[in-house]
Amino acid sequence: MLKSIIKRNEFITFLTIVVLSAVIGIINPTFFSVSTLFNVLRASNVYAIMAFGLLLVVILGGVDISFVAISAVSSYSTHMLLLSLGYEGGILLYFIIAGVIGIAAGLLSGFLIAQFDLPIFDLSLAMVTLWYGFDLFFIGATANFDLPEGMVGYYGAHILQVQDPVVGQTGLHISVLYVLVVGVLVWLLLRYTTIGRGIYAIGGNREVAIRSGYNVKAITMIVFPILGLLASIAGVTQGGYQRNFNPVLFIGQHLDVLAAVILGGAAITGGRGTVIGAYLGVILVQLINRALILTGIPVEWQQFTVGVILVVFTAVPAIRARRRKRIGHTEESEKFQEI
Amino acid sequence: MSEKALESKPKADLADFLESLGISGQTLLLLGILTVLIAFFAITEDRFLTSSSLSSMGFQLPELGVLSLAMMVTIIVGGVNLSINATSNLGAVLAGLMMTRLIPEGAAEGQILLYIGLALLIFLTIGVLTGILNGLLVGHIGIPPILATLGTLSLFQGISTGLTKGQTVTGFPEQVQFLGSERFLFIPLPFWIFVIATVVTYILLNHTAFGFKMRMTGTSPAAANFSGINNNSIIMRTYVYSGLLAAIAGMIVMSRTASAAYEYGSKTYVLLTILIAVLAGLRQGFGNALNIFLAVLILQVLSTGSFMALRGVRGSTFFKDFSWGLLLVAILIINYHVRGRRTHG
Repeated sequence: MLKSIIKRNEFITFLTIVVLSAVIGIINPTFFSVSTLFNVLRASNVYAIMAFGLLLVVILGGVDISFVAISAVSSYSTHMLLLSLGYEGGILLYFIIAGVIGIAAGLLSGFLIAQFDLPIFDLSLAMVTLWYGFDLFFIGATANFDLPEGMVGYYGAHILQVQDPVVGQTGLHISVLYVLVVGVLVWLLLRYTTIGRGIYAIGGNREVAIRSGYNVKAITMIVFPILGLLASIAGVTQGGYQRNFNPVLFIGQHLDVLAAVILGGAAITGGRGTVIGAYLGVILVQLINRALILTGIPVEWQQFTVGVILVVFTAVPAIRARRRKRIGHTEESEKFQEI
Repeated sequence: MSEKALESKPKADLADFLESLGISGQTLLLLGILTVLIAFFAITEDRFLTSSSLSSMGFQLPELGVLSLAMMVTIIVGGVNLSINATSNLGAVLAGLMMTRLIPEGAAEGQILLYIGLALLIFLTIGVLTGILNGLLVGHIGIPPILATLGTLSLFQGISTGLTKGQTVTGFPEQVQFLGSERFLFIPLPFWIFVIATVVTYILLNHTAFGFKMRMTGTSPAAANFSGINNNSIIMRTYVYSGLLAAIAGMIVMSRTASAAYEYGSKTYVLLTILIAVLAGLRQGFGNALNIFLAVLILQVLSTGSFMALRGVRGSTFFKDFSWGLLLVAILIINYHVRGRRTHG
């Protein structure tokens, strides 16, 4: 039991987080504070919500990069619509309208992929430029800072207030609850439903999954609207938190989310990955970003350090996999038998 | 494709001849789209086919074109290279820093040319070294290419950022701008470079043993391995070639803009090169440099044409992104129907 836990990729990610925290803490003792914990959690929230959606696609055996554009287009167009209507209420209506847009955008992707048997990555590439272009050309090209009355306080909507010895009053933002709810729902979906088992089965071995009776088209048409919905939730949350809505929200950040999902133990070839792993991956990425500031590495050399860490952290599991391969339990050989 | 050409009847018709050149339906489709787009914009916009608009396109598109070829070769062997743009910029930053720091004031013409030669050497060295690192990570260590090159992207861009402290390097001797501003036979020099790079890549892929092995590795690494192909060596050499092309793109950028910036094109170019690859019908093991050439032209024509057509409309520069997306979806669907009619694919 213990051995099987230790061997899991999620455990490695967890261990990395612990070791990294210890190192930062030794260099800069102010790291160990409630305020840091809350900050890391809060910064992780929107990425975690997107990562849970992306996780489904990765397990299915695809790579999607269009979810960031769906975040942007759903949140920004919702904001501009409600602004023109003179809406002064809270964030709930934002979630509902943006959610519908996100689901619609996801349905469109899912339909095109299922109907025309398109490679997921290729289509998402078309969609990312299409949606950002749509947003900038048809909706608006500049960030908008006019918030309705009911959303002004969302920035400081904390579920927990704590007195921190260093920075004073600090709070845990409400969006951490969304992560909890979304995470549990996605976990349940993956673990206890036919759809979830189908996602793993298709990603593991598409041919076998089809022959066992899983409906690939139907499952594709379910996974992409979920990703769209989660992307729109992340978009609205981020807009509400940073107190402006931006037509190019999250642009270029698809790779950070993807890296988090993969660092969390999901296989980029599909069939493997967990909610816990994805969350740990997101935390790890946030921690690396924070580590650079706290350990006093000069700003201009921070990206270089991120690069070194990324290369090392992706090389270690690859080398481990290579060792396993020599022993004989290989994905390659399984694939070869299939041929 | 080449096996098909061998099987064909002795009476070779046009289709067989085209196929032996590696020209497929995709090439004809792209050629058709390009012709229609050029005709459309030529009729609706009188400024479109003027020499000034053509030459500005001729100076603009080659850097993206050469980067697309750098992306293409790695996709052929079943990988991807996200670090191409970072490689270009790293080369430009290092060559730029060398020139601004080392060239003495009032240096003679011959002395300056010597330093420019050294700058070219730096570019090529960076191309090879980055290629070797990528090839090691992807081939020998076995990191999924998308992750390995994401890491090296950050690494290379990080070195450029660190060395320049985020500043743009400028103040090169005038001679540096030669490549990015001169013409040969009325055609901009960068465009010539793009043409030459396309032809070389085409020959390499379709008419050499190395190209054949690249396509074998891309189609099925396991089968290639059992046929006695050293996949790691093929992957390594492919990434080095990719790095060299990226370095050449960096030379064009540096010469055209007379500057070197760590973040030049970092938000758009990599995504665009993959988009071009998909537009060109590239798949692991299959692809043709001519299709890449046509796809780059199509993107540039759409971008310039739609910009002219929407002159005065708010946010008109962004319409091109939207139209590229639509075009890509359309091509993917057309390809699906073409594939469906054949038995394989």
